[in-house]
Amino acid sequence: MANSYVTAYEMNKKEIERWHKIPSACQRVAIKDDPQVVAEGLLYIVGEDGLRIDQLAMALDTSYENAEVIMENIKDKYNQDNYGIELVAYGESYKFVTKKVVLSYAQRLFNLTKPQALSQSALETLAIIAYKQPITRVEIEELRGVGAEVMLRKLQTRGLIKEAGRSEAPGRPILYEVTKEFLDSFKLYTLDELPDLPAYDNSESENLFE
Amino acid sequence: MSFAVETLKFEGPLDLMLHLIREQKLDIFDLDMEVLTDQYIAYINALEELRLEVESEYLVELATLIEYKSKRLLPKPVENLEDDYEDPKEKLVRRLLEYQKYKDVSATLNEAYLQRQDQLAKTLSIPDNDNEEDFMVEGDPYALLKAMNKVLRRAQMNRPLLTKYTTRELSTEDRILELKASLINLPEVFGFEELLSDCRDLSEYIVTFLAILDLAKDHFLSFSIDDNENVYFGRGSAYGQ
Repeated sequence: MANSYVTAYEMNKKEIERWHKIPSACQRVAIKDDPQVVAEGLLYIVGEDGLRIDQLAMALDTSYENAEVIMENIKDKYNQDNYGIELVAYGESYKFVTKKVVLSYAQRLFNLTKPQALSQSALETLAIIAYKQPITRVEIEELRGVGAEVMLRKLQTRGLIKEAGRSEAPGRPILYEVTKEFLDSFKLYTLDELPDLPAYDNSESENLFE
Repeated sequence: MSFAVETLKFEGPLDLMLHLIREQKLDIFDLDMEVLTDQYIAYINALEELRLEVESEYLVELATLIEYKSKRLLPKPVENLEDDYEDPKEKLVRRLLEYQKYKDVSATLNEAYLQRQDQLAKTLSIPDNDNEEDFMVEGDPYALLKAMNKVLRRAQMNRPLLTKYTTRELSTEDRILELKASLINLPEVFGFEELLSDCRDLSEYIVTFLAILDLAKDHFLSFSIDDNENVYFGRGSAYGQ
């Protein structure tokens, strides 16, 4: 059965829409209820914890590709302006969040505490780890030219980075990498979504370094 | 002095150098080390004039710049000059460019971070469970205590490192001298407690105990134990020698 499923990669956007409209779409899922309706409900329950595609596939007893299409359909649906929430894909899972327009009204209702901003040194340290992970403290310090010990501890406490084993280098220093919470905090589904690093040392400088 | 306002702005020596390069309109790909070094030194001097503490990281890079400058001033064989002399400059330029990359990308990341703050989500709702027993937590009060300690430790980690403390380090040798001196004021026979009376913490108790063992070994103190296992001390054969 599983082999007959069409993967999300094979379908273009138009095909996905058509696929969802035909009633037989439900039959590709092993449950008899509308999988998209069920998925919406499940996403409501999980809230900020989010739902991974493989978790949805398991709950709906369907393929990963099908679950992905269902998630993307819901995402498209809530992207429209007539919804106050949207489905976002952060930190390898999907979750409902309020749209930006809601914030100022929510502030009238609740005493929303302004979340802690990240300092420039915190951002730089996180950027270095995200692009170069796994990375040791000394390597980070070399790049920034300043000590990183306190900052690493702070970022660890905030759950944005974690220890990821030890390097084979002398002294076997601890390696650091970013967490799912980091991905969520920076609106990233995976690290592949990180913006490209600017390339300052390419064309102009090539002859310079020779 | 304009530097005073700017001191806190820099994230480190590399950030400062990038600022100086921009300010002096230097070409980073053909860096004038002379100007950069002079400006850097002027900045550090200005900080010190203002009696501001200059972080050691800035001094490390300062040393590198001065080393580079001094090497240039020394006469060297032509072929050596070529090798030695471009290297630290290239290395510095490479580091500056690399740092600039992460500095720039961190601004982009911060935008995403701030946008994310405007998106609110609700917490996980677990459907009501009629079976209360499922919610029984196995474990004893000590597990709870341990968990609470963990929470407190975490809270502690969140707090900035502002506390300073000093410990009094007392060596066994020092303690032996102290004990010898205090013997004058003690009666012929005295208890263990009297030697410990001025101890304030565990480490001092331990050091005192070690000192007593040494004194007993050297026959400076004699000791006896009664039926109730009370330890009594007296002056040993080595006392007064």
